[in-house]
Amino acid sequence: MLRDITLGQYYQTDSVIHRLDPRVKLATTICYIISLFIVDNLIGYVIAGLFLALVIKLSKVPPKFMIRGMKSILFLLIIAVGFNLFLTPGETLVAFWKLRITKEGGRLAAFMAIRLVFLIMGSSVMTLTTTPNNLTDGMEKLLGPLKRIRVPVHEISMMMSIALRFIPILLEETDKIMKAQIARGADFENGNLIKKAKSLVPLLVPLFISAFRRANDLAMAMEARCYRGGEHRTKMKPLVYHKRDGIAYGVVVCYLALCIIFGKILL
Amino acid sequence: MGIIETKDLVFEYIRRDEEGNVEGITRAVDNVNLDIKQGDFVAILGHNGSGKSTLAKHINAILYPTEGTVWVDGKDTSREENLWDVRQEAGMVFQNPDNQIIGQVVEEDVGFGPENLGIPTKEIWERVEESLKAVGMYEFRKHSPNKLSGGQKQRVSIAGVIAMHPKCIVLDEPTAMLDPNGRKEVIRAARALNDVEEITIILITHYMEEIIHANKVFVMDKGKIAMEGTPREIFSQVEKLKALRLDVPQVTLLAHELKKSGLAIPEGILTCEELVAALGRLNRRK
Repeated sequence: MLRDITLGQYYQTDSVIHRLDPRVKLATTICYIISLFIVDNLIGYVIAGLFLALVIKLSKVPPKFMIRGMKSILFLLIIAVGFNLFLTPGETLVAFWKLRITKEGGRLAAFMAIRLVFLIMGSSVMTLTTTPNNLTDGMEKLLGPLKRIRVPVHEISMMMSIALRFIPILLEETDKIMKAQIARGADFENGNLIKKAKSLVPLLVPLFISAFRRANDLAMAMEARCYRGGEHRTKMKPLVYHKRDGIAYGVVVCYLALCIIFGKILL
Repeated sequence: MGIIETKDLVFEYIRRDEEGNVEGITRAVDNVNLDIKQGDFVAILGHNGSGKSTLAKHINAILYPTEGTVWVDGKDTSREENLWDVRQEAGMVFQNPDNQIIGQVVEEDVGFGPENLGIPTKEIWERVEESLKAVGMYEFRKHSPNKLSGGQKQRVSIAGVIAMHPKCIVLDEPTAMLDPNGRKEVIRAARALNDVEEITIILITHYMEEIIHANKVFVMDKGKIAMEGTPREIFSQVEKLKALRLDVPQVTLLAHELKKSGLAIPEGILTCEELVAALGRLNRRK
């Protein structure tokens, strides 16, 4: 059943990482990504790798879930590695036909691959351990200061959580419309790409109409329940920092310092 | 003055063409005068397009009168400063259960109203618990609304309204999209609120069976109040109801037809039991 699909890729278990405040996890992920681009030597990457391994271990998420996420970027990875490998000028190591691999190219390609893999694994740790709901909450809080420069932070996060709520409903509706159209002789499977794209029109038009109607209804229901934007609003589940969140921030700062000292300055 | 009062209420939908010129005016609500007391269970009946939903939206200040006035608990709904008080005091439950649940977890959805009112966190939790218990959905508080049945979703919607501590709840065809079991669940929940919490209920429906528990019924036609009275008074006028294109409950219709063909049974029979009793009396008399 379409209703049972899980959104995002949240992995349900109980671990220290799961219990951390979403703000900590968001900030850590951002710091981690930055750190990957700061370091440019082997020791730096070893530190980054160890940090990631530690977090994955603590999160109790089976590593195969991380590897599953890798598949989607495999193509990107190959291209990035390939370009760096063959197109970097420098001291030639191997050469065949018109292609040559340089020493610098090899180094760059290896670092690029490590960077990409760590980057994807790092961010999947966050999505695997945080519910989408929590994530939007964390974002709203974290981006709060942007309200001063008129960024509609609350509205954006409200939109995200409504979208999350309606994805399964709209998926189900798509399924319904599809069946209705098939019953009337629509063909969604045969034909070339253009034909297939065209056959989506009788699916998308009713879907859009229904989505707008739902949006209209929902807006009215929200108004009827006194919704008036983010001001004067309290939270049923407010985000509160605990001791473990402070510790986590400390660890992240130490990690960043290590990265800068060993990955940049020393060597 | 009752909890809800309307005086000469008129609402017109104005249709405009693409340039914004007025194409036509539809008078959806036409000179309606209501006076609803605190604690009443009021049903508003009418076929499609009779203006009953439009009337309902005035009580919650989603629509404002074109002419006339609506007061909710003595507050004029068309005044800007009363808007949020009116919406808090008169909650509203809509027809489509999917399109009025905002939260991704049942308890979060129930908490949405109190959150908007700026209630402190601790009290929100108390209100959520008490509202979910009032509609019998407490054990589902951690569930995703997508996995509930239609009747359960509507009960969650009702809980979401109760959590705002309203004095009155307007249910705008809450059962139209439900199966018979779901309909019963919702009506039972609404009745319980009326009995136990003494919340004024305004039930808008076109299912006749649902109004027999009301203490006052208004029948609307073409934006006007066509009939007014207790369910029994309304149902004793079968011919008039038929003329207004409303379905009379089968028992009432049967009793009416029996009476027409010469049996001495009273008008306005509402339940099977009443009909059985009336026929029994008839039998004994012979």
